[in-house]
Amino acid sequence: MILAIETSCDDTCAALITPSGEIAANIISSQTVHSRFGGVVPEIASRHHLTLLPAVLDDALATAGVTLDDVTLVAATRGPGLVAALLVGFCAAKSLAAARELPFAPVDHLHGHLAASFLAPSSFEPPFLALIASGGHTLLADVNDAGPQLHVIGQTLDDAAGEAFDKGARLLGLGYPGGAALEALAATGDPDAFAFPTAARMGGLDFSFAGLKTALLYKVRELGEAEATRLRADLAASYQRAIVEALTIRVRRALKQTRATKLAVGGGVAANGPLREALGALGVELDVPPRLLCTDNAAMIASAARYSPVLQFPDYLELDVYATGERTLVA
Amino acid sequence: MKVLAFDTATAATVAAFGELERRDDPPAGTRPAHAQKLLSLIHGVLDESNAGWGDVDRIAVGVGPGTFTGLRIGIATAQALAQATAIELVGVSTLASLELAARTALADQRQILAVIDARRNEAFVSGAGLNPCVLTPEGLGDVAGQRASDGIVAVGDGAVKFRALLEQAGATVPQDGSPLHRVSAIYHCRLALDAQPITTGVVAPEYLRQPDAELARKL
Ligand SMILES: [Zn+2]
Repeated sequence: MILAIETSCDDTCAALITPSGEIAANIISSQTVHSRFGGVVPEIASRHHLTLLPAVLDDALATAGVTLDDVTLVAATRGPGLVAALLVGFCAAKSLAAARELPFAPVDHLHGHLAASFLAPSSFEPPFLALIASGGHTLLADVNDAGPQLHVIGQTLDDAAGEAFDKGARLLGLGYPGGAALEALAATGDPDAFAFPTAARMGGLDFSFAGLKTALLYKVRELGEAEATRLRADLAASYQRAIVEALTIRVRRALKQTRATKLAVGGGVAANGPLREALGALGVELDVPPRLLCTDNAAMIASAARYSPVLQFPDYLELDVYATGERTLVA
Repeated sequence: MKVLAFDTATAATVAAFGELERRDDPPAGTRPAHAQKLLSLIHGVLDESNAGWGDVDRIAVGVGPGTFTGLRIGIATAQALAQATAIELVGVSTLASLELAARTALADQRQILAVIDARRNEAFVSGAGLNPCVLTPEGLGDVAGQRASDGIVAVGDGAVKFRALLEQAGATVPQDGSPLHRVSAIYHCRLALDAQPITTGVVAPEYLRQPDAELARKL
């Protein structure tokens, strides 16, 4: 069994998978306390990880019906993410491994999102183009093998796609996090009612969502409070459509550039229905893992560990986390 | 009873197995290296004692007060080690350990004030009849002044930082390089003998301060 821990943001996660990639347990304890702050507060997330993690680990072992004696490899997210949050899970994972002199695999969070596609039973084999879109990251990667080297060919220049969803939701008075609420509201609106920018004229494979958010802000002000409230569903539908188009335009370009015939999608935004629909219409083989494997989870980290360099005891004792810098990215 | 103890509340990373201690004191101006050093120091004291996990009766961790991230590195490590080995787990006050170390070293009846630098120009303080709390320099001076007539010794990195005002209030502060200012896990081991084992697997850090976001929300 591979045991993995993920605490890079506000979800406290532990999972167990078999050496061949079957999920035995995938426990996610989502912290709801952040909604009243309108965003994730690192210090609060870290405090919760510390208190939640022992029970989340126990829960994972109990769900899988195993004990620590059955664990042959321990893995944890090393970065990128919130350092204080990462440290809780990473130090706990190193300690679990060290106490039992087990091998340890430090995993890059983005490699984890890709590796969600390698989990059984529907393992999606490289080469493929990957789109990872969440509240923390938005990037396109040319994936040639399952390893941690990530060949990034496009990324966001400002906000992440999930952030754009959340900020739009807040402007429309839907609270935080509001991505799902915005999608639900959009389903009842007209996506052609307003023309929001998709940065289509910006060439290349990089993303930009800051202009879109500003456009929504100005439109809401221009309409005035009463009118904006009356047209809320149309605003949501048009705004969502712009995000989906901005993503799809660049995926289409990247498919052409890389000549990839397969596309894998990961990150919380992959759960968005209209996005799945738009990507499904591109005419390539598409893999979108189930929702629980798209948002942050530890099963994807365990999956990535299967393709990551493994350190033997005691070579990992002095490993530290990283916020952004050291990840094994080839830009 | 053999206790393995460690502390990461201050800049120093310290681990002890009984009376054997190993530590990492980062040079002034450099960041603490808790995440890198803690597990190797723990394995170091066990190895040097020719001991394995089977020889450890209790794991004790310093619960602070101290830097938030430092506390969590120590406690996350303690919780996981205890979970992996099923060894009893206890939390120990870092301030109480500083106080006990000074009490043991001083052969007189003077009162002891343990003071940890809380940054933001404040101090975490306990001892001399005071429960752990956060004090401004002014408050610290008052506390020391009220007890000065009986004789009071202030120890800890906070005592060094606020030396001038503590001495002005009538307290004695050992010279800067004195070992009395450093947290020692050997005294955690001693305190751990009388501590109540934690049955939930979760150790509560002594943060003493709320997160900034929480404070801002209440304003
Ligand atoms: Zn993520």
